[in-house]
Amino acid sequence: MLGIMLQKMWHKKWLNLSLLLGCVLLIATVVSFPLYQKAAYDRMIQDEFRNYIAKEGKNPALLHMRNISSKEKNGATTVKLEDFQKTICEQLGVSLRRNLQFYTLTAATAKSDLNRADGQNIRVTMGFYTDLPEHVRISGGEMYGNTPSSDGVIDVVVPQETLVSSGLLVGETLTFDTLKDSEGKPIKIRVSGVFVPDSEDPYYWQLNSQDMYDLCLMDEQIFRDHFTGEKAGKYTLTCHFYTLFNYEDITEEQIPHIQEQTRYFLEKSKFRSVLDEPSYYSLLEEYQRKVNRISATLIILQVPVLIMLSAFLFMISGQMYEMEKNEISVIKSRGSSGGQIFRLYLYQGIVLTVCGALIAYPLATVFSKALGSVRNFLDFDTARVLHVSYTKQSYIYGGIAMLVTLMSITIPAIRHSKVSIVHLKQSRNLRKKAWWQKIYLDLVLIGVSLYGYYSFHKNQSALSGAVLAGESLDPLLYLSSSVFIVGCGLLFIRLQPLLVKVIYAIGRRFWHPASYIAFMESIKQSGKQQLIILFLILTVSNGIYHSTVARTILENAIDNTTYNDGCDLIMAEKWDEVVDSNGSKTGAFVEPDYKKYASMPFADAYTRVYYDPYAYVTEDKNNSQVVTLMGIHTREFGQMTYVDKYLIGQHYYEYLNTLADNAKGALVSDNFRTKMGYKVGDTLYLNNYRKSALSCEIVGFIPYFPRYAPEKTDLNPDGTSFTEDQYLVVTHYDLTRQAFGTLPYEIWVDLKEGTSTTEIYNWMEENNYRVKKYVNRGDDLEETMEDPLLQGTNGVLTMGFVVTMVLCGVGYLIYWIMSIKDRELIFGVLRASGFHKGEILHMLLLEQIFAGVLAVGAGIGIGTLSARMFVPIIQTAFASATQVLPLRLITDSDDLMRLYGFTGGVMLLSLAVLVTLLFRMNVTKALKLGEE
Amino acid sequence: MSEKIMINGEGITRSFPVPGGEFQALKGINLKIGEGVFAILKGRSGSGKTTLMNILSTLDDPTEGEVYLDDERVRDLSQRARENLRRRKMGFVFQSVSLIPSLNAYQNVEFALRMAGGRINKQSAYRVEECLKKVGLGNRMTHMPSEMSGGEQQRVAIARAFVHRPSIIFADEPTAELDSAMAARVTETFKRMSREENITVLMTTHDVGLMGAADEIIELESGERIS
Repeated sequence: MLGIMLQKMWHKKWLNLSLLLGCVLLIATVVSFPLYQKAAYDRMIQDEFRNYIAKEGKNPALLHMRNISSKEKNGATTVKLEDFQKTICEQLGVSLRRNLQFYTLTAATAKSDLNRADGQNIRVTMGFYTDLPEHVRISGGEMYGNTPSSDGVIDVVVPQETLVSSGLLVGETLTFDTLKDSEGKPIKIRVSGVFVPDSEDPYYWQLNSQDMYDLCLMDEQIFRDHFTGEKAGKYTLTCHFYTLFNYEDITEEQIPHIQEQTRYFLEKSKFRSVLDEPSYYSLLEEYQRKVNRISATLIILQVPVLIMLSAFLFMISGQMYEMEKNEISVIKSRGSSGGQIFRLYLYQGIVLTVCGALIAYPLATVFSKALGSVRNFLDFDTARVLHVSYTKQSYIYGGIAMLVTLMSITIPAIRHSKVSIVHLKQSRNLRKKAWWQKIYLDLVLIGVSLYGYYSFHKNQSALSGAVLAGESLDPLLYLSSSVFIVGCGLLFIRLQPLLVKVIYAIGRRFWHPASYIAFMESIKQSGKQQLIILFLILTVSNGIYHSTVARTILENAIDNTTYNDGCDLIMAEKWDEVVDSNGSKTGAFVEPDYKKYASMPFADAYTRVYYDPYAYVTEDKNNSQVVTLMGIHTREFGQMTYVDKYLIGQHYYEYLNTLADNAKGALVSDNFRTKMGYKVGDTLYLNNYRKSALSCEIVGFIPYFPRYAPEKTDLNPDGTSFTEDQYLVVTHYDLTRQAFGTLPYEIWVDLKEGTSTTEIYNWMEENNYRVKKYVNRGDDLEETMEDPLLQGTNGVLTMGFVVTMVLCGVGYLIYWIMSIKDRELIFGVLRASGFHKGEILHMLLLEQIFAGVLAVGAGIGIGTLSARMFVPIIQTAFASATQVLPLRLITDSDDLMRLYGFTGGVMLLSLAVLVTLLFRMNVTKALKLGEE
Repeated sequence: MSEKIMINGEGITRSFPVPGGEFQALKGINLKIGEGVFAILKGRSGSGKTTLMNILSTLDDPTEGEVYLDDERVRDLSQRARENLRRRKMGFVFQSVSLIPSLNAYQNVEFALRMAGGRINKQSAYRVEECLKKVGLGNRMTHMPSEMSGGEQQRVAIARAFVHRPSIIFADEPTAELDSAMAARVTETFKRMSREENITVLMTTHDVGLMGAADEIIELESGERIS
């Protein structure tokens, strides 16, 4: 049996190779998914931690406990906490970076041995901080020793802050009358040095400046000997326990345990009252929410690809059974049981699936790396490397994929193993309509998807509400679009023969014999072509649809960020408020030096912008409306900002020029006009929060303006979303200054090409810039494009596209080769009867046009249509909260060129194969073929 | 019957290279077949019948010797000219199923007219129907090849070979796959149509029972003409 099988496989090696290719791609695609997911999520966790650190300047991988024990016997609680601290990391399942302890006594008053101007009493807090000597620099005096000095005086070091606030001097000795040691003698300390925190570990230093102003730190062991354990009963101790763990090692599968264990610590453990909620806790919750959303989205996006892959296997194995029909029925008629034949194919399926899996597993890592390196649709960035490793999940997925593969290959065998030669001869006489045509599956699918489309369309606000609330988009939405595409594809297959018939009918009498044959073949053979046509349609339309989805989402996200940020860089400095002699605030500010901005080496241009989101317009005494007020220098502002004409109807500069022409002019947002019924020439009365008044004259209305969002979308308590209008008034900076005085303004900067964040930071540091606001468009754009959901979506769509393209190409080639091999005898007859080679080519070319080119055309139409219908809805999954600009459907012409190039290439290749086959065909041999 | 010679073979020799030398399939065959003659090429399998048919029908060239069809030397004709000759002036019937499966009986016959450059109009429709009626299939014109028996298909093929009024019809073992009664009927049809349309027919067969129908019998054995 094995021999027969191998021989059979060798005989049909091309078909079997294609089947193998299908197996490999199916399994590799399925396996690559958990691999990619794990790697991407691992990277995402790291990103979450790193972003937190970058934003907050603190390491979130930290647990902090604080306990105050008052004269406790033997310091029992402290011991318990110390023991607990040692096990925290183990319980969380993470690796320990550092355990730190910071113990202090209650601040106590001491007498100095020096004659001091401010009297001799100084209040200080004694304590220790783990491993202090290794993490500080001594700026004066020396570090404390680790043994008590012979005179019983304890050496301490103090931070610079203490030195300043307490006026201590190095070498000064303090005596605590209220604090006695075990022998009843007052405790004495000597300031041996001053330290400055200086650690290689940026997260070592957990104390903030409040802790430092009266702090004296001593050796840990000396502190413990004096004040803890049995001695603890005499003192009140404040103990801080810091546990830092290495977030760098955390992987995705640890997260549930870490979360659960932390929840246990916080809610149920004995230590819940002393433990602060760690920052990583909410960070991981946020991460989990994102992951849920991404997983659901990515799985749904994969489904069409997997269906295509199974369909491919089905098609190729069907092709194989079709070819082997005769053999099967002959074997059958000679007495082999259906079971035996089925087993033959089952074994073949197993061999293919196992070989496929062996190739697919290594390939899956390549796939997942490729997935991870996708920057944009069909745009790979090899510099982005994902660390991929096999997980248990990937093996489970692989197993399921193998089973599906095996089933796709062998299920058609069940039907065929039942057919004997008698059935076969009989069935050849029957020309049946396909089952799906009889039940009008195409129309049913289109109906269902349209229903889905309209219900989503109607409930778009609920939909965006769900997305705002962090849920993933309804899978049915994606499904609707896929179902729509399949339904349209089937409808086309139903109509295609009719279409060919119509074209044929037009020139029935005049068609060239070759065209005539091609028409007749296309009309009569349409059943055989259905699968390949459907395949082509699905590939092309999915390609167009997915590229539109991917491009639209990305480009809109970029456009939005570009618009929302206003310009390259916006920064604002903290201004000090002027205080009057009574110490109360005046509302006036000290303007920091404006000239320093001229020294920004990275700026092409910069300008002042007065920006007040809480100004209000007063209509009359009872009526006022909150608006965002912007005061700009029209010329400078225009140099560094831009709004596209399609958004605002005329050139942006024309608006700015209109404003510039009137020193008291103002541009007002369109929606404010709609609401208030203003017209050009009306006077507006504005107030800022200090009730200073400004009046200006409306010179024009503008629907969009840099950084201005006309609407704000937010959540109702019931989970639906609502939209609220926001209003804008833009006037001259000088006018706001005249009316309100000099108030904190923003600096809008046009950056030189290639400016790095570091350059900006350096400049800020050099100028002691006290940052109040910092918006860097480059960073924001980077973040937008790095969004894991966007990345994953682009990755899956691109890989899905590439895989279906390959399948489609192979399927198309196989179909045509088979179709020629099938008809070799007929070609021989035609050639013998005097048909030229060119005419045969002409005939095949026309057939390709009827099947291939029409299908590609239909695919383009269906893809474009479904993109127009469904992309606007799908887009809500990605940007409903920040989407300010009207959605634009983006179809990238490069993507389309690649798509058309590929399909065109496949067709040309198959044409080349046809020509080769044709020219190698020997007429007399072909004729012999028939003589059995 | 006129004296016009339609097929004239002079010293036709055809050899094929085989491992270690040459195999001579035909050894200096001479033959002349007149217009409207129904000739049978007879011989056992391997005697060179098909090789000779291929050469006479311009599908193959002789290694030595010349073929004249209607006084035209085949060697002088380009491939293209030979193809045009085949589609306009010849008809073919093959041993195996040679109908185009996607066309029905009528369309298959009409297709030969189309190939020969005939216009498709009322006259052509009449001619197609006439030919089908002559082979006894006037009532099966809309049937597809898959719906007909082997004999019926072969008779459609004969109608197709005649429809464009060629000068010569080559029929290579057209009865091989039929039972003897059917073979006799098909041969009879051939003979009758050849007479009615004044078309030269060269038919190969190894079936001795069919020889009676022939105007002329050419017999081959091991590549040589023996009668």
